[in-house]
Amino acid sequence: MNANPKTTHQKQDKVGMDRRHFLKVSGTTSAGLSLGFFLPERAQAADTPQLNVWVEIEPNDTIVIRYARAEMGQGSLTSAPMIIAEELDADWKKVRVEYATAHENLRTKRAYGDMASVGSFTIRRSQEYLRKAGATAREMLVATAAQKWNVPVSECKAALSKVTHTATKRSLTYGQLAADAAKREAPKTVQLKDPKTWTLIGKSIPRVDIPDIVVGKRQYGIDTQLPGMLHAAVAACPVFNGKVKSMDASKVENRRGIVKVLNMGEFVAVVADNWWRAKEALREVSVDWDVGEHGTLTSAAIMAHFKAGMEQSELAVARNDGNTTDALSKSAKVLEAEYFTPYLAHATMEPMVCTAWLQGDKLDVWSSTQNPEATLAVSAATAGVPQTNVKVHPMQLGGGLGRKSPQDFTRQSVMIAKAMAGKPVKMLWTREEEIQHGLYRPASLMRFKAGMNANGKVEALHIRVSAPSIFATLLKLPLNKGVDGQAVASFSDHPYDIPNTLVDYAQRNTNVPVGFWRSVGHSQNPFGRECFIDELAMAAGKDPVAFRLDMLPNTETSKRDRSILEAVTKAAGWGNQLPKGVFRGVAETEGYGSWTACVCEVSVNAKNEVKIHRVVIGIDPGYAVNPDNIVAQFQGSVVHGLTAIFWGENTIKEGRVEQSNFHDYRMMRLNEMPKVEVVIAPTGGFWGGVGEPAQAPLAPALVNAISAAMGKRIRSLPLKNHGLTLKA
Amino acid sequence: MKAEGCLRRKGLQSLLLVGVAWPWLNGRFAHAQGMSSGRRISFEDMVQPIVKGAKLVQRDIKIEAPILADNGSLVPVQVQVQSPMSEQDHVTHIYLLSQRNPVTQMAMFQLGPWNGRADVTTRVRLAGTQDLVALARLSNGEFRYNQMEIIVTESACVDAS
Repeated sequence: MNANPKTTHQKQDKVGMDRRHFLKVSGTTSAGLSLGFFLPERAQAADTPQLNVWVEIEPNDTIVIRYARAEMGQGSLTSAPMIIAEELDADWKKVRVEYATAHENLRTKRAYGDMASVGSFTIRRSQEYLRKAGATAREMLVATAAQKWNVPVSECKAALSKVTHTATKRSLTYGQLAADAAKREAPKTVQLKDPKTWTLIGKSIPRVDIPDIVVGKRQYGIDTQLPGMLHAAVAACPVFNGKVKSMDASKVENRRGIVKVLNMGEFVAVVADNWWRAKEALREVSVDWDVGEHGTLTSAAIMAHFKAGMEQSELAVARNDGNTTDALSKSAKVLEAEYFTPYLAHATMEPMVCTAWLQGDKLDVWSSTQNPEATLAVSAATAGVPQTNVKVHPMQLGGGLGRKSPQDFTRQSVMIAKAMAGKPVKMLWTREEEIQHGLYRPASLMRFKAGMNANGKVEALHIRVSAPSIFATLLKLPLNKGVDGQAVASFSDHPYDIPNTLVDYAQRNTNVPVGFWRSVGHSQNPFGRECFIDELAMAAGKDPVAFRLDMLPNTETSKRDRSILEAVTKAAGWGNQLPKGVFRGVAETEGYGSWTACVCEVSVNAKNEVKIHRVVIGIDPGYAVNPDNIVAQFQGSVVHGLTAIFWGENTIKEGRVEQSNFHDYRMMRLNEMPKVEVVIAPTGGFWGGVGEPAQAPLAPALVNAISAAMGKRIRSLPLKNHGLTLKA
Repeated sequence: MKAEGCLRRKGLQSLLLVGVAWPWLNGRFAHAQGMSSGRRISFEDMVQPIVKGAKLVQRDIKIEAPILADNGSLVPVQVQVQSPMSEQDHVTHIYLLSQRNPVTQMAMFQLGPWNGRADVTTRVRLAGTQDLVALARLSNGEFRYNQMEIIVTESACVDAS
């Protein structure tokens, strides 16, 4: 597969993910490629030449490429090194990927740059320096060979880990050249490859971590085992921000295996010789919580708080084109609708886990973290040791979804380790703790009002959002003109040619802590926007796709909205006759630097059971680095997205989250998973994100189809609240 | 003597409180004025409103702060200025300046020979990775400064494309 610009749109169909085929492929990979992992602490052979911090070449031609971000299943542990290998002209079969560490980054004054895996940033924010790192190393190797042969550099070519002198056909391997190349000064400027000449970027390369995952060798944060390690189970106040008033642990203190019961002020921890004992004992520790003033909060009160935000007089203005109020008053037809999306916990497969070991003023941390540098900073501050004394050991994450970038759990773990100084302690949350102490995707109330002229052209659009601000409450960042960019994402930057647009925002915070849930604002706002656009299309009596295409202006960015919408609707056969009772829905979005569109085909029976016949979902990420990984990301996003769309909802009663585990916070099941067809349509010239954008068009496309099937507009999620169930 | 020492300490404490309170007050004021953060300003733009062309040298100041901050909401900073703190030669002010916050001057401490040493500790709020400048005004009207980059790790799935 080729990711060059102007390639034909490619449709990838991986129906049902044939497990046997998958295992076969992975097995071959593991045998064929010697891609392994070492902890970065491995003794570095003094004679292993390092061309720069990213590339090390061993005499046996093994190329070690470092990866500085986190791997939580998103696949960048493979795609980011591919980018270096591309420019290096490395033989991928001889590449081994190793983690860079946060402490090494600190020691080298951030030689590896930002290490966070958030915001679908890994590829788009690091591609430039990764390409340069690869190209620099390649030029050093080529120059070394040219010098050895005493020929001009221009007569030498690098390919597949070898430099060849074209005229004489002499060649030297990278392993033979590396020692001398490493002594050279790195070139200050390098020529990056023309994307048309890429041989690795754009190819579907199996993920390097899969063989180890399949045989159970891969170490996740939860797998950490250390000699003499203790285990901790924790419970925070069920009402957010509450404190421990008093605690009575007399019932469990003398039990077998219980080492200590800790009152940490904000939470209670039981430390034991194994986790099950700790967790069971914790249930019998009697805690009197000081719940503060928020012990009576309910979902209804939160909704009233949001509704009041809709009517408040002073609002932050996120976008103001033309004169919307005036245009609305003059419109031939005005439509108004309110949409709502609920709070959502992340429910990562692996709950929060962190192991910490404080020995004197030295601290070691093994954490499933999306941001190892933040882990280092929080660990040092909590333990009260210098940052240079902290080591954060990279572990694979059993899912992150945005929950594992804030470091509340790291702080808890290091607090426990400090109380148990000298002993390593692994702190693991229960599923209940994870669901009830999340940093939730904010609930959001959105009001849309649009005015159309007599020909059905939309002249004015007013979108008002009443919702909490993640930036103001979690990150405590100053808001630009009072606007939280995520609360109005995809509204303030909607691509449609509507001359009068007003987007305003009422910041309505509650005691429920909010955070970054995969796709963040794009996980909810496109649902409102693209469903309301469908309402407008219907009111105008126009086909939803034609209606959108008509509204897309001819600008540089809008042509990408147009091209992805065209690519996906073509792949889905939009306009073709559907079987009786089957209905389609469409949506088009942009976010995280990529453009996405989705078409869903559904039928709804008399029992309100929704059958999803088809999901066609596509992306224009500019360049598609590892297409099969994009397919996997999109399939995963559909699983995650459908879970949220049908069942995802955290409700509040007496100040606490009512849901506690998978029985009342339901996940998608294997047999319910519909067919997903992924359209990868890269137009080149930019680097967009992949991990998050797929969530954006899925909910509106699906709900548009369901609304069409039911002849009734659905304006809130999850669908279970409308009596709808998913038919396997 | 004892009573005086106690008073001094109280005086110092209240000064520190002022240091903490300033960014908040100013922040609100700035918000009302519709100022925004995010843009990094130049070193000259940071210091000149205070220095006003007087002599400015980078020496004699030590900044103690974490290189990495998990988020910018609460970053401890210590500033020590080498000075005899005598009647003739002392530090009169220490300013903490932000390159990127809505309000550049995060804190100002007034000092005099009665302090004994020019050493202040406070906590500041930082709107993202930026250079922090500690600026000291001496009794002779000259200025000393030092700067430090503090990395506020971006633990945010934000779409800043």
